[in-house]
Parts: sequence; C-alpha cells; structure tokens
Amino acid sequence: MRNAIAIFLKEVRIYFTTPVAYVAFTVFTIVSSFLFLRLLGSFQRNVLLHTQRNPGLLKYMNFTDQVLGPLIHNIAVVLVFIVPFISMRLIAEERRSGSYELLMSNPVTPAQITFGKYLSALLVLATMMLLVLVYPLLVSAYAEVGHVAWETVLSGLLGLFLMGAAFVAIGLFFSAVTRSQIVAAALTFCTLLMLWMVGWAAVDNTGLTREVLNGLSAIEHIRNFTVGRLDLRDLVYYASWMVFGLFLTHRALEAQRWR
Amino acid sequence: MIEVRELEKRYHKLVAVAGISFKVDRGEVLGFLGPNGAGKTTTMRILTGALPATSGRVEVAGFNVFDRPLEVKRRVGYLPETPPLYNDLDTLGYLRFAGRIKGLRGRRLRAALQRSIDACGIGEVTGRLLGNLSKGFRQRVGLAQALLGEPEVLVLDEPTIGLDPNQIQEIRRLIHELAADRTVVLSTHILPEVVQICSRVVIIHRGRIVADDSLQNLTSDSRSLEQTFHDLTQQ
Ligand SMILES: Nc1ncnc2c1ncn2[C@@H]1O[C@H](COP(=O)(O)OP(=O)(O)OP(=O)(O)O)[C@@H](O)[C@H]1O
Ligand SMILES: [Mg+2]
Repeated sequence: MRNAIAIFLKEVRIYFTTPVAYVAFTVFTIVSSFLFLRLLGSFQRNVLLHTQRNPGLLKYMNFTDQVLGPLIHNIAVVLVFIVPFISMRLIAEERRSGSYELLMSNPVTPAQITFGKYLSALLVLATMMLLVLVYPLLVSAYAEVGHVAWETVLSGLLGLFLMGAAFVAIGLFFSAVTRSQIVAAALTFCTLLMLWMVGWAAVDNTGLTREVLNGLSAIEHIRNFTVGRLDLRDLVYYASWMVFGLFLTHRALEAQRWR
Repeated sequence: MIEVRELEKRYHKLVAVAGISFKVDRGEVLGFLGPNGAGKTTTMRILTGALPATSGRVEVAGFNVFDRPLEVKRRVGYLPETPPLYNDLDTLGYLRFAGRIKGLRGRRLRAALQRSIDACGIGEVTGRLLGNLSKGFRQRVGLAQALLGEPEVLVLDEPTIGLDPNQIQEIRRLIHELAADRTVVLSTHILPEVVQICSRVVIIHRGRIVADDSLQNLTSDSRSLEQTFHDLTQQ
C-alpha cells in the first residue's frame, strides 16, 4: 500500500510538472465551454420564443435539464478524446525511457504499480470534474430566474467521473502492453470510440439487438446520471470496465515479469 | 551470498546467456568482464530480479530470485546499464521516491538520502531536473539510487562510465570501502579498474564463462589482465 502511494505521488508530480495535465485541462475547458455556450444560447432562444408565442410553456424550461444535463452528456464524448492523452504515458513511457527498471529491481509488485498509476490518472480526471462544476456555479450565480438542481448536477458529474474512470482503466491497460505512447493512445482511442459508436448502431436496430447495443454503449449509460437517476445497471457497467481494465493491466505487468 | 547455477537466457532464438554458474561470497568484489554483447547486462538484470531467466537457478542472500523476488529485491542495490531516471523529476524528488519504494521512511530516509548524496557528490544538483543533467551526473544519480539504504548486495553495471577522473577515484574508493561487509558485482570495460578494486574476476564470452578466478591468479606469471582477456575472448 505504501509503495502504491509512493508511486501515486510520483505520478501526480510528473503530471503536474510536465505540461500533460495542463494541456488536458486547457483543451477540456475550451471544448466544454464551447458546448456550454451553445447549449445556453439555444436555451435562451427557446425562452425568448416561448415568451413571445407561448408563455404557458415557460414553466417547463429549466437550466438543469436543458443545459447542464445535455452538457454532461456532451462532455462524456469529449472524454473519449482526452482520456487516451492522459493515460498513454502511464506505463509505456517508463518502459521506453528505462526507468521501469527501477520499479522492476525494487520490492514493488505489479498490483502496486497498477493502483498507484491508476489513482494518479483518476486525480487528473477528478480535477477535470471540478472544472465542469464551474458551469453550474456560474449559472446559479448569474441566473435571474430558476435555480440549479444540485443533486442532479452532482449525480451527472458522478456519472461522468465513473465513465472517465472506466476509460482510464482501459487506457492504462493499453499503456502496459506497448512501449510507444502513440500506439497506446491510438489503441485506447479506438476502443473508446467503439464504446461510443455502438450507441449509434443501436439506433438502427430494434428489439433485443437494440437493447444489447445500448447496453454496451458507454455514453448511453450516463443518461440516467444526468437526470439524477442512479441505476445499479449503470454503476455495474462502469465498475465492470474498471475492474476489467485493471485486471488486464495487472496480468500484462505480471506476464512481463516472466518473459 | 550470490549463487548462479546453469543460468540460461534466450531472447527468442538468440542465446544471450548459455548456462553459466558462479558464486560470489560476502565481502567479495566480483569483476564481471566480457566483450560487448557477451551477456553481462543480461546476467545482472536476472540477478536483481529485473528480468526473468529462461532456465537455471539464482540465489541471492539465500533467497531464490524466481520464487521470492521481493526478498531479493529488498537486499539488492542495482545500477542498470542506463541509469533508470525520470527526466521530469528533480534529483531529490527522484531519490526520495527511490528510497520510499525501498521501504525507507522518515528519519531513516533522510539519513540515507544524505549519505548517498554525499557519497556520489551530487549535492549541487539536488534541485535540478534529471532531464537537464549532464551524462556524468545522471550516472552519479543512478549510483546514488543503488546505494540508498546500504543494501547487502550491490550490482553495478559499468558504474564509472561517463564520470570524470576525480569522481572515478571517489567511486572506486567508495566501492572498496563498501565491500568490507557486503557483496559487489560490477561489470566494466576498464581493466585497470578491475585490478584496483576487484578481488575476483569472471570473464564471459558469447554467454559462456571462459574464466573464473581470483585476480591474483589471472594476473600471475607476468601476464597482464589485458592479455588474458584478449586471449580468452578471441575467435
Ligand atoms: N531485450 C533484448 N532483446 C533481444 N536481444 C537482446 C535484448 N537484450 C540484450 N539482447 C542481446 O543479448 C546479448 C547480450 O547482451 P548484453 O546487453 O547482456 O551484453 P553486454 O555483455 O552487457 O554487452 P555490453 O558490454 O555491450 O554492455 C546481445 O547479443 C544482445 O543483442
Ligand atoms: Mg552491458
């Protein structure tokens, strides 16, 4: 456990002394702000429209469901692009530079390496969640009517974090199987893209096929979170990917010791 | 202290180490010699548990490297061929991390850091990023890492490469001092270094041992170590 913490602290230090974390935060903030402004803009247009034509509809307009919920849903897609960038260096970089030999020749187990590295990437992810929190804070500070439903927002962020954590576990695994960061990122990106796009395939199907495809889609599982519903199936879905990713990472590191 | 029996390592088809056996006792400084590509680095990596063997047995301090790797790693300080540094950490941060994964904490960690830093003369670069250090200083930091916590066994792969003449003398003296109650295995291509600090020599050539003897015997009958090395590693 102490070794895992030492590795965690070292990784966090590297994330925050190199540009990696800051570049991720910057890109993430720019894209999310763009999405936020678009959603806010269309929300305002709708309010205006209803005020002129159909004031009765106004009571159905609310920030949380029409801006923040969709925002989190959109940001989920942004994570498909950003997580590979965060996770690619975790193990690949050490194996390329030779520093991995330090870990291999010291009393450190593959499990400690796996956890320490995983937690450090989760910290970066959690920081991004705090950045998302800025939008509802802005809304609640400046909105003249309506309010932010914080339970819904927090549940949405929880969903986003769990999804990101599942993505990072997948990224960690690919970083463990190659010495090349680029290859690790490409494989992770490809996998995450598939997890997103099976949701599109679901739309073209009906019945059981549709259910199954939707069930596989990482982005679909965030829908419940964004409306404030915590469904066990969604939790199990993300938890499964986390466990699966970490398990495979551990196996990969363990196997390398014997080859 | 170290016992290697019938050790073999293959990289796919290439046989890097072809069944070697040797022993090193406590208090010995073993010079591990051989031409480029002979299998020195490969053997040393296996000794420290950093690389698995294809077959054979290795025991360090009474523990089998393959069955009890953690016990072995706790007792061995290893300087790999290329210093295993994190270019994005500063020297002190790096050594502190290395100390922590060796199980050092608190006051013991601070004391160990201070000793290593003094011994390797890296006090002036503790605050600098490893990625910006000169080659010699990178080597010294790698060495400081291996010395942390004063392990019973030191495995040093070309420890003095890249160091300036003053530092080479320092490090040789240090290794000599340390050897009193520990075991050192070091590889090098500098034969005078071997004459100066090693008590025993193993020469390997193409993955096989061609000489395993005390320094005295190898350099007796007025042949220099150079000549012996040359004769044994030709063809
Ligand atoms: N990871 C690897 N994959 C394939 N072959 C390898 C690998 N590492 C080493 N070898 C091969 O194993 C043989 C022994 O290499 P090793 O590095 O042990 O030699 P060495 O004695 O340390 O040489 P040098 O004096 O140049 O450091 C060489 O032929 C080398 O090409
Ligand atoms: Mg070598």
